[in-house]
Order: sequence, then structure tokens, then C-alpha cells
Amino acid sequence: MGVDNLKNIESGRVVVTDAAVVTALGNNLDALWQGLMAGESAIRPINRFPVDQGHYKAKIAAHIDDLKAVNDRSMLQHLLDRLFLEMGSVPSDSALITATIKAGADNLESFCRGKQANFQDVLLSSIADIVGAKLGLISNGICVSASCASSTIAVAHGAALIESGRTEAVLVCCGDLITEYAFSGFSALKALSPFPCRPFDRDRKGLSLGEGAAALLLMNADRARRENRNRLGTILGWGITNDATHITAPAKNGRGLVQAVDQALKTAKRKPEDIAAISAHGTGTVYNDLMELNAFRQVFSERKMPLYSIKGAIGHTLGAAGAIEVTLGLKALLSQVIPPTVGFSNPENGAEGQVSPESHPVSGDYLLTTNSGFGGVNAALILGK
Amino acid sequence: MAGINITGIGWVTAVGMGCGRDYETFAMPWGPLPDINPSDMFKKPYPNFRRMDEYSRLGLTAIAFALIDAGLSEWTRERNIGIIASTVYGCLGTDVDYYKTVIPDRGSNASPALFSYTLANSYLGEAAIRFGLTGTNYVITEQHPPGLAGLQTALDHIIRGDVEKILSGISDVGCPEVFGEPSKVPPGAVFLMLEKSPAREISSYGKLCLDPKGRVIYNGSEIYDFTTLVQKCLAGARYA
Repeated sequence: MGVDNLKNIESGRVVVTDAAVVTALGNNLDALWQGLMAGESAIRPINRFPVDQGHYKAKIAAHIDDLKAVNDRSMLQHLLDRLFLEMGSVPSDSALITATIKAGADNLESFCRGKQANFQDVLLSSIADIVGAKLGLISNGICVSASCASSTIAVAHGAALIESGRTEAVLVCCGDLITEYAFSGFSALKALSPFPCRPFDRDRKGLSLGEGAAALLLMNADRARRENRNRLGTILGWGITNDATHITAPAKNGRGLVQAVDQALKTAKRKPEDIAAISAHGTGTVYNDLMELNAFRQVFSERKMPLYSIKGAIGHTLGAAGAIEVTLGLKALLSQVIPPTVGFSNPENGAEGQVSPESHPVSGDYLLTTNSGFGGVNAALILGK
Repeated sequence: MAGINITGIGWVTAVGMGCGRDYETFAMPWGPLPDINPSDMFKKPYPNFRRMDEYSRLGLTAIAFALIDAGLSEWTRERNIGIIASTVYGCLGTDVDYYKTVIPDRGSNASPALFSYTLANSYLGEAAIRFGLTGTNYVITEQHPPGLAGLQTALDHIIRGDVEKILSGISDVGCPEVFGEPSKVPPGAVFLMLEKSPAREISSYGKLCLDPKGRVIYNGSEIYDFTTLVQKCLAGARYA
């Protein structure tokens, strides 16, 4: 197919027909949704590795208590096993797009300590290996690695593949773990909050780490209809940009995120006024949250857009954050209610009237979800009912 | 013929480094990589370059050479140019180096500088900053490399109009010794500059497109790996 042919393809609808999530608030979407709506937080004292010697800036994280490393496999294997207990049938001709930033980093730690561990789990391609084998998918998978926007981009890439007509179904699967490796790094960068993170709160002190996994089955609308698949929602638009400003800090003026949202709206053929609510990255770090408020103000002007972050409840799940937030965003759209921002009480300048510690009814057909990360990456998706 | 022009090539391999237009052949053999001197690619001082990990320096250098070869290394305004890079091992060596700073005293000496480079896409952010590239950029790892998933993805982005231009390449420094596994791919990096219709005077190494099944077609023939593609580009340039 040449350039002109692809250019002429009409935008089709990419339907999300099935989804599963595992987070520290539970092993499925219902548990996560109910926990969130009740204002619960899974962020608590960490017991996976020693944190009590005062070397780290925090002693808490949203970890999944009973996650196990069996034999020499990473805990990632157990996490993904649990994830697919909740997932319906996946067509064997589905393309596989995975996302992670550190895959089985627990096994990397074992190697560095001279212990026996499975090497394949350390590689970024490990999720594709595990899921491809588990589901018997025909084609090889790929892994998208773009820091904390990895799975957002994986969803965008999957939707684009379906819209281009090259495939009818795409399984997006992502996961990341809490390890001493990641915990120590964010501590060294002074990014960890000593208390459960408080996104968009004036008194926020940083992020809390979380862990989790998500799987979404994207399908061409015609095929979804033909196969009588569920319809959880649609992926309508996407935008991916780079700040070109700093490796670990966001551009204060939010220009990269503004461009990503503009691109996503353009792809979705929607206007800012069509958007009912925003699922923000909302890490609880001083600079990320300020940047996002700045960017959203530029896109939506003075309109007080309902805005929420789920990281005060399940922590920052790194490469898995985007897809978990897409799954919840679709649930919010269907329910016409957005979850509370757990941990939020004292609004940062500009967050007044937008962010709430309570769940909030919304009215509309489209939701914007965004993630940004190290390396200056920004990604935005427009979700539809 | 409709297609995407290859307007620049840059690489670092065991047999040398530089721009496509300075060479007649290309190879990516096994062997130690050459020392990289940042003043070969960057006109202005770049003190951060020496602070980066080996994986970042390698990829950034190949990107710089590809931009130089395409006449796009100089800039005054940021550009909607993207980067899609493929890798097998990514920054695994940096990951090991970083975690070795954590082990001795339970994290009290963990290096924030090293941790900043423990993402496979960190060097793409460095390239974006250095060259003003605000387009989409991320890293792709294939389940069974070496393949062309990254190049396919880059072509998708430029064909769809997400970016004006896009760099696509591969970069690997090998598998760290601690894992006791042989590397699946030779060390090195090579990047291509892809453009629809260059507005400046620049020759093309040839044209790429995707067929309906997503296969990568170079000047009418299917290609299967990066090395062969670059060799064909240079051979085509020689006889053009």
C-alpha cells in the first residue's frame, strides 16, 4: 500500500471489546472501580524489600500483597497469569502489542546478587513471550517502551494499526512491578512522597509507586459486531509528542502535552468542547501536576474541566499506567461518573473546581486521557462511548 | 512512484562510524565498537555526552550522523520530527550498573544520574533536546528480532501525517556479562532519515513503502533486515 492509499483510508471506529486489570486494589476492574469510588487507597507500608534503614525517601507503595515469584520466574509471570483469568477469548490472529518499562526487574536484581533467575523475563520482550505463548497467538509481539506513557502509546499504536486496515484485532498487554530497583531510583531522584501521594494538591510531595497490569482487546467495529463482542468503548484519537526540554522533568509550559492533546483531538475529529472529562497523569510530583494544569488550561481555556488522577489510590504503575487508566476511563464514560482523586484535599492553584476528592457525575461521550514521562514523552488518547 | 524517501543514513558499528554519503559500503559485524568523540558530530560543546551511558551515546551518535547526512542537523526552530528505535537489550547494561550502586548499602548510594538512563527511550529524549525534535519518539522491542517492526511503525507514523519527518533505526550494545547469555545481535546502531517530500536540495537513497500486509518495500523489492536495506541504499546511491 503506497502513501496515497493509506492517506485515503477513512477513519473507522476502533472498539475495545474486552479488558482486564490487576492492581493493588484488586484482581479485576470491578474491584478497582469499587475501591476507587469508595475513596480507598492501596498505598501502605512496603514489605517486599527492606526500607526501614532510612535510606529511602519513602517506605510506602501500592503493592499487590500475594504476588509470587515461582521457581526462577519473575513475579511478572504471576501477575500476567492473574490478569488473564479475567480476560475473555482472544482471537489467535490478534496482533500483540505489549508495554513495560522494566519487565521482570526482580529477576535482574537476582542476577546482580548472584542468584539463579530466568533471563528471558528480564528482557523488554518478556511480556510478549509470556502472553504470546499463553494465548497461542499466531504473530510475534512487540513491546513499546516510552517511560510512563508506554502503554498509552501501545493503545494508540494498536488503534492505528486497526484503522489502517492492516489488522482487525490487537491485544494490548502491559505490566510493571514494584522492585527495589525502581523504588531506589525514584528515591534517589527525590521523586517519592513520604506519605500516600496527593495529586493536584498544594501539599503534594511526590509520587507513590504502584504495580499492576492491564490487557485490552481492540477490534475493528465490523468484526466486533460480526462476532457479537462486547463494546466497552472506542479509541477515537491519539497524539504523541516530545517536549525536547529535559530528560527527567516536564516542560513547565506544557507545550508538548498541549501538542499531543491537539493531535489526539484532530485524529478523533473532535473539539475541546466535546470532551466531558480528563483522566490526567497526575503523579503527585510538584512539576508534573503543575505542567498538566498549565497544559489543560491552554487547551480548554477557562472551562473548568472535570479532572481526576487515580494514582493516590493505586500508585504510579509506570509502564502499565496508561492502559489501566484507559480501562477505567471507558468505565467512567459508560457510568457517566468520574472517580475521586484520592489524597486530594487542598487544591493547587488552577485545580479548584476541577479536581475533587469525591466522585463526580459527568455528561458527555468523550474522555481525554494523558500520560507523560521521562525522556520528555507525552501521549494523549480520546476515548469514546 | 509514491513512497517515503530515505534522505540520510548514520551509523556506528565495529568497523567505523559516519554518514552514508561518506561511504560506499556498510557492514555491522561482531566486534568492539570504536571510541566516540562528540566533536565529530556536535559543533557546540556537549558536556552531557560523556555523562551518558554507552547505549545512549551509541544511539545518539548514529542519530546525529543521520541528521548530518540529511542536512538536518542545524536548526533554529523545533521541528515535528519523530524517532522510532528498535532494540533487543536496550539499556540492560545500564540497569546492571545502576543496581550495583544500590546493592552495597541498601540504596543509600543509588545513583540518580545512572537511573536517569535506565529507560530504553532516554537517549531519544537527549536527541530530541539536542536537535529540537518534538515529534513522536519511542522504542520498540520485537519478540523475535532482528526484524523491521520499528521501521514499519515509523513508516506508519509518517504516512499517516503524525510527523513531517521521522528517524528510524536499531541500536544495541549487547547482552551484559552478568546474565551469561550470548548476544543475539552484533553491537552497533544505524538510523535512517525518512521524509515524504524534502523541501531542500537533497538526493534520496531510494524509496520505502508498506504493502497491504505491512511488509517493508524498498524500491519495489521486499526487504527483511536493516543491514541489507542500508547496503542496498549505498549501492543504489553509487550507481544513481
